[in-house]
Amino acid sequence: MADEQSTDPSQDDTVIEERSQEPPPPPPPPPQVQAQAGGDQSSRDPDSAAPELGTLNKDYTIPGVDPDDTDPYRWHTGEKRDHGGEDAIEVIDLVKQFGKTRIQNGLNLGLPDNEVSMVLGPSGTGKSVLIKLIVGLLYPDAGDILVHGESVPSMTDDELFEMRKKFGLLFQDGALFGSMNIYDNTAFPLRQHTDKSEDEISEIVNRRLQEVGLAEAHYKMPNELSGGMRKRAGFARALVLDPAIVFFDEPDSGLDPVRTALLCELIREVHEENGGCYMVISHDLGTARRIADFIAVLWKGRIVESGPSEELFNSDNDFVRQFLNAEVDGPLAMD
Amino acid sequence: MVRSAADRAFLPAKNLFEQVGNMMILTGKTIVATVKPPYPYGGEFISQFLFALQLCWFPLLISTVAFGFGAPGLQAANFLTLFGALDRLGGFFILASVREFAPFVTAVVVAGVAGTAITADLGARKIREELDALMVLGVDPIKNLVVPRFLSLMLITGLLNIYALLFGISGGLFAELTYGQPLGGFFATLFNNASVTDLWGSVLKTTLFGAIVAIVCSYKGMNASGGAQGVGTAVNEAVVIAFMGVFAFNYVFTQTLLATHPEISAIK
Repeated sequence: MADEQSTDPSQDDTVIEERSQEPPPPPPPPPQVQAQAGGDQSSRDPDSAAPELGTLNKDYTIPGVDPDDTDPYRWHTGEKRDHGGEDAIEVIDLVKQFGKTRIQNGLNLGLPDNEVSMVLGPSGTGKSVLIKLIVGLLYPDAGDILVHGESVPSMTDDELFEMRKKFGLLFQDGALFGSMNIYDNTAFPLRQHTDKSEDEISEIVNRRLQEVGLAEAHYKMPNELSGGMRKRAGFARALVLDPAIVFFDEPDSGLDPVRTALLCELIREVHEENGGCYMVISHDLGTARRIADFIAVLWKGRIVESGPSEELFNSDNDFVRQFLNAEVDGPLAMD
Repeated sequence: MVRSAADRAFLPAKNLFEQVGNMMILTGKTIVATVKPPYPYGGEFISQFLFALQLCWFPLLISTVAFGFGAPGLQAANFLTLFGALDRLGGFFILASVREFAPFVTAVVVAGVAGTAITADLGARKIREELDALMVLGVDPIKNLVVPRFLSLMLITGLLNIYALLFGISGGLFAELTYGQPLGGFFATLFNNASVTDLWGSVLKTTLFGAIVAIVCSYKGMNASGGAQGVGTAVNEAVVIAFMGVFAFNYVFTQTLLATHPEISAIK
């Protein structure tokens, strides 16, 4: 169990290390992890997953874990219900720590290809950090991340930039380039990575902007847009290269209910058109019910349960049931 | 307990060494990205060069004339008057202005004007997650943002140094005129002491000052955190570290130049 692990002083001062600054050597996955990579993770004991990188509540803390709780993972069955397909993304025994706060503590997750997956969990459980780890913006302290079978932490910078061409990412606030208008923001990936003519680029960009309802605002700069418009512009930019894997970091935050429903519909339509692995992070149960084929519930740095959405919504796990039905009574409290 | 006390005591030094190390790594990556194809930074390089030129030329003009007139000009002229050797002021300007003050003032102006703009620009992009967005889109921010700033600041600093030399020496001429002296002696000792080594040494040193300023300011900008206040802090730290880096490098460069070219130590 995590709180019975031995202390490793070398890990005491774990700090944020962004890939662009100081790439450390990729962390080697433990031997038992390599054996399980790509296989069924449902049989993995969740308590044995976290590598020994210190002692809970002494060397590190986990958000949501009470220091007096001797069994914080009693609801974490780690069960992954069969979705009948292959995983595009596999996260194996992932540990990520900022200072003494451990965000991911031996997280195991498989996201199916050609489905819209949703990672749900209480605030501060590291959902956005998980996206940054998968796309290689952050290094894990331990564990491995496989995208279509390739280890992300083991890649060189050049390999990583090449692999990222298959990614699309919608940031929480859009992350548009402030010096470019909406049209140029959306055209940017096409100009960087394709040899298309300006006419072809114009056709693709206008179609994407039309889909997100920003065709009339193509000349506007990001600072002239509302939060929702920035998000929709970011959505257009994320999809312009028809990426195989798309991440949505809280696409519904800051949007009114109707726009949220329309955006969900758009995500479904684009997914049906292009296919691929879509990963959506959200707190919104309405969004989950609308678009998710597959759901993973994250809490205390590990997956509680994951599986096809209809099965998860009918789960008899106390935490999953409380969270997916927004019930007051259950393991999750305000603190 | 001992470990935690030691950690607290040595944390500032550890952070400093970490930052210096990270800046060295950024320098290495920047140089590699500069020479390794493709070369997508041409347009950004020109725009950054013109931006720095537009920002720096007037502050540099005022600074060099005022500094040349005040410090090596009036003060040194006052001292030389004691010996009746005011005509030696031109020779002194080779030592003072060409070798030290012009590169120094140029680096200070470039760091304070263009360097801070770079830190604020990259810092704001970092805070708005634009740098993350670039990386996720498969675009290397070092090649596309740091390299053009690195090259343009090196070039502009080297060129502005020549401009600073001319205006710095003109400050000396004003000082000479203030003391009612003819300018012949000033020019005679100026050209008698001037050498090609002085000129290329001055330009090379200032070009490398530009590299230091660009790396420090880019690094601090790309690692800004904590919202708008964090960008302000990054700008402040960038200026302080760039000045320290320039002063430290100046010592090493001057010692090396004097040791490898002993003929310029002789005052004629």
